[in-house]
Amino acid sequence: MNTKPFSPYVPRPVTLVEKTKLSDFVTRFTFEQDNGRPLAHKPGQFVNVSMYGIGEAPFSISSPPRRTQNTFEIAVRKIGAVTSALHELKPGAKVGIRGPYGSSFPVMKFVGKDILIVAGGLGYIPLRSLLFYQLRHRDEFNRMVLMVGTREPKERIFVDEIADLAKSGDVEVLETVDMPDETWKGNVGVITTLLPKAELDPANTYVAMVGPPIMYRFVIAECRKKGIASDQIFVSLERKMKCGLGKCGHCQINELNACIDGPVFCYTDIEAYQEAI
Amino acid sequence: MAKPKIAFFDFAGCEGDQLQIANLEERLLDILGHVEVVSFREVATGHSDDYDVAFVEGSITRPEDEIRLKEIRKNAKVLVALGACAAIGGINCLKNFLAENVYREEVYGGQARWFSTYAARPLKSVVKVDAEIPGCPIDPTEFARITKELLLGRSPWIPDFPVCVECKQAGNVCRYEMGRMCLGIITRAGCKAACVSQGAHCWGCRGLVPGANLDAARIVMDRPGTSRKAIQDLLRFFLGDTGAAL
Amino acid sequence: MTTYTVYKEQLPGLFEKWSESYALYVPAKLREGFYDLVPWKRDLEIAWDFDVAYNSPKRFLFPPREALITFNRKTCEAEPVFEAPPQILFGVHPYDVKAINQLDQLLETGSPDQNYVRRRAATVVMGYEPLTVSPTAFWASVGAASAAHGYDLYWTKIGPAAFTVEVGSARGEELLSMCGPLVPSTAGDKEGARRAKARVLFKARHNGLRYNWEETPRLLSKSWDSPLWRRYSQMCLACGSCNLVCPTCYCFDIREEADDQLEEGVRYREWDGCMLESFAKVAGNHNFRPKAQDRYRHRYFRKGKYIYDKIGELGCVGCGRCVRACTAGIANPLKVFNELWEETAHEH
Ligand SMILES: Cc1cc2nc3c(=O)[nH]c(=O)nc-3n(C[C@H](O)[C@H](O)[C@H](O)COP(=O)(O)OP(=O)(O)OC[C@H]3O[C@@H](n4cnc5c(N)ncnc54)[C@H](O)[C@@H]3O)c2cc1C
Ligand code: SF4
Ligand code: SF4
Ligand code: SF4
Ligand code: SF4
Ligand code: FES
Repeated sequence: MNTKPFSPYVPRPVTLVEKTKLSDFVTRFTFEQDNGRPLAHKPGQFVNVSMYGIGEAPFSISSPPRRTQNTFEIAVRKIGAVTSALHELKPGAKVGIRGPYGSSFPVMKFVGKDILIVAGGLGYIPLRSLLFYQLRHRDEFNRMVLMVGTREPKERIFVDEIADLAKSGDVEVLETVDMPDETWKGNVGVITTLLPKAELDPANTYVAMVGPPIMYRFVIAECRKKGIASDQIFVSLERKMKCGLGKCGHCQINELNACIDGPVFCYTDIEAYQEAI
Repeated sequence: MAKPKIAFFDFAGCEGDQLQIANLEERLLDILGHVEVVSFREVATGHSDDYDVAFVEGSITRPEDEIRLKEIRKNAKVLVALGACAAIGGINCLKNFLAENVYREEVYGGQARWFSTYAARPLKSVVKVDAEIPGCPIDPTEFARITKELLLGRSPWIPDFPVCVECKQAGNVCRYEMGRMCLGIITRAGCKAACVSQGAHCWGCRGLVPGANLDAARIVMDRPGTSRKAIQDLLRFFLGDTGAAL
Repeated sequence: MTTYTVYKEQLPGLFEKWSESYALYVPAKLREGFYDLVPWKRDLEIAWDFDVAYNSPKRFLFPPREALITFNRKTCEAEPVFEAPPQILFGVHPYDVKAINQLDQLLETGSPDQNYVRRRAATVVMGYEPLTVSPTAFWASVGAASAAHGYDLYWTKIGPAAFTVEVGSARGEELLSMCGPLVPSTAGDKEGARRAKARVLFKARHNGLRYNWEETPRLLSKSWDSPLWRRYSQMCLACGSCNLVCPTCYCFDIREEADDQLEEGVRYREWDGCMLESFAKVAGNHNFRPKAQDRYRHRYFRKGKYIYDKIGELGCVGCGRCVRACTAGIANPLKVFNELWEETAHEH
């Protein structure tokens, strides 16, 4: 293995150990690194997954960092070539990965502070890594609030997990759906409608949010209105990605590369960029 | 696992594309080794044949073609339009610009009265087409790649940018810089700019690139020394079924 | 560094020698009347007065299509693919040397692109002082008339049969001395080289920015909402020609193909361009730069600001290739920057 000349484009093999359906189109995949080593990622980072013969695509790492285990999780929505091929895999199958790549949530900054985690749609996938990291070190952080917004009840993912979190009392959980059906008993409305429901201490609250582009504008505006400073707000920006190395140009946001400068950005650092949000 | 079944059919066209596939020679054996070819050309109506992939060549030029094509569509899991005629109507659409009696005379001579025929059209104006391998003739290496992608369960990829990209990759001198015309600016790439690389210009055989800026293209083509008629003729040659040809 | 004087009659011997261990490319006239770097062969007429090489030198260092890895679908093991043929690019104008230097900086920093690094290491760059200036070029006004480094040798034609050759690397010097002892240039020869540069700079004055190029990033910061972007981009064919011909553009797509047995395969990269409609489009069809004007503006910002903010130089070396390549007549950094300058003139 070590005799191979190095190239950053060469993935390494990992093996699928578990596959769990999360919704009609989203599945969680647990992989094990064949090299036996932990992935050594930070919450918010991503890996490029290779389905050889089909292509390569970036996915957020959904599990918290694990120091002693060589497993990690991603959760994937079936939408195109690579994601569909992933859904066909059976445990035992191998794929290639590169990474972890990109920036992460600055967990050290959150120590001793309140944290508000805002997850729109699939945004819960990367935030889960942060959330469970913090829960593992629960006493290092102050209040934890999780807000989850989904378009329709049937699109909700990690439903049981989120219910357990709510019961545990470690995290205050607020959830909403945009378009309810007859089964839905909870909040209705876009995710911004949850913000007034939590009494936040603006000076002491850090915000981590991931969701569709449109969500950011509104949630950030709400947070700013509440008096939360820009440098306390962290977002993860998704862009088209190919190389993951800051070379291919696809992920550019003005002069930033979402793959190496991001995906996680402090809002202060992107406020001035027209292409960011 | 059972080998996927594939079938080939043709409508109005010159069968040049099946020839291109045959030109793959030993590669063809490897690729076809993964499949079972269940049918060439003839579709048995009535009993429900099933095949995983139907490659269909030629354009639809008669009402009875529609019935046959719909039958194929019903039996196929994946329907692939093979070649310019099937994918974009191709040269057959030239006749759409002629008065009906003129082209009927030309095509069927004295028997013209005996055949029903209507404006030529691509497969996609009759049935849902899952993938296209455009080109006149098709590029056999693209056929090979797309067949493999289908075998791997991937929805086939074809370039969604103009021929100019591949032309620049090839390092050709642009026809416009030589005072000539070229349809590469609005035509879907994938042929490695074959015609320009061979010294000619692009005729548009792979159809319009998605989002082609036709207004701009007409201005670009309308240069001193080029007649409107020449532009019109070029645009009608392969792109007769699109909005490009006026 | 040392400068030697070399005579034309020495060249065939040198070329012969070099081509034994390198692929040697030299400037020549194409059938179509343009110039390009082409493989050298005996008796090929060298176009000493070429104004610009039709294709930029990036294709030698960063080919249009390049394999990155081979993979095995069963084991999911992958191997890097490196190809780095020894080559000599003889006759690279200084703006193109600067463009290569930029590629070096951008591709070798961060996570170095090993495919590029290896090709670059195997490539000898022989700079050459231009004698003529392409009608669409404007390199003299964007700080790209001279390259301070990045070449192994730098050739200046100082007379009908004589050159001064400035040494840029030990490898260059070694190549130059392959056919016998070298003669250091006299003060007079060096003066000849200086005058040759002055002559071409004079010729290059036909085209230029109306302001100091270092103002460009600031100019662009004020121009995000300019109506110019929409006005010009209406004609854009999204053909990517301006990207692909540019010596400093290096965006790429990554694609792959399995072999005919469906067991192994190759993943390769291919030149891509930010002007192509789907460049920033993701699965589900969301496009982060949906409008022609978004893409058009991005390219100029990349050339005039983003690259500058990274390395302190413009991403445009003024070669004028895009100006010629754009059939719609809208790819023209000189014109765009000058017009933006006029637009904001009242603010200066
Ligand atoms: C940092 C990051 C984290 C992501 N995390 C997740 C996740 O946790 N779960 C999830 O389901 N999806 C995630 N995505 C989106 C996911 O990468 C795309 O859905 C995926 O690339 C689609 O690939 P495809 O081959 O199925 O689609 P196709 O449409 O067939 O795409 C072909 C290729 O285009 C590129 N591409 C297309 N869409 C995207 C996109 N949205 N982002 C980047 N490249 C794209 C990829 O290279 C892909 O292989 C993430 C994207 C980024 C940038
Ligand atoms: S010759 Fe045709 S295909 Fe090539 S760049 Fe010019 S317009 Fe485009
Ligand atoms: S250059 Fe144009 S006409 Fe020729 S094969 Fe390609 S798309 Fe067809
Ligand atoms: S932007 Fe145009 S003029 Fe500038 S370096 Fe690139 S091709 Fe040359
Ligand atoms: S070369 Fe001209 S028409 Fe083509 S993408 Fe560039 S600006 Fe647009
Ligand atoms: S993904 Fe290639 S530069 Fe970011």
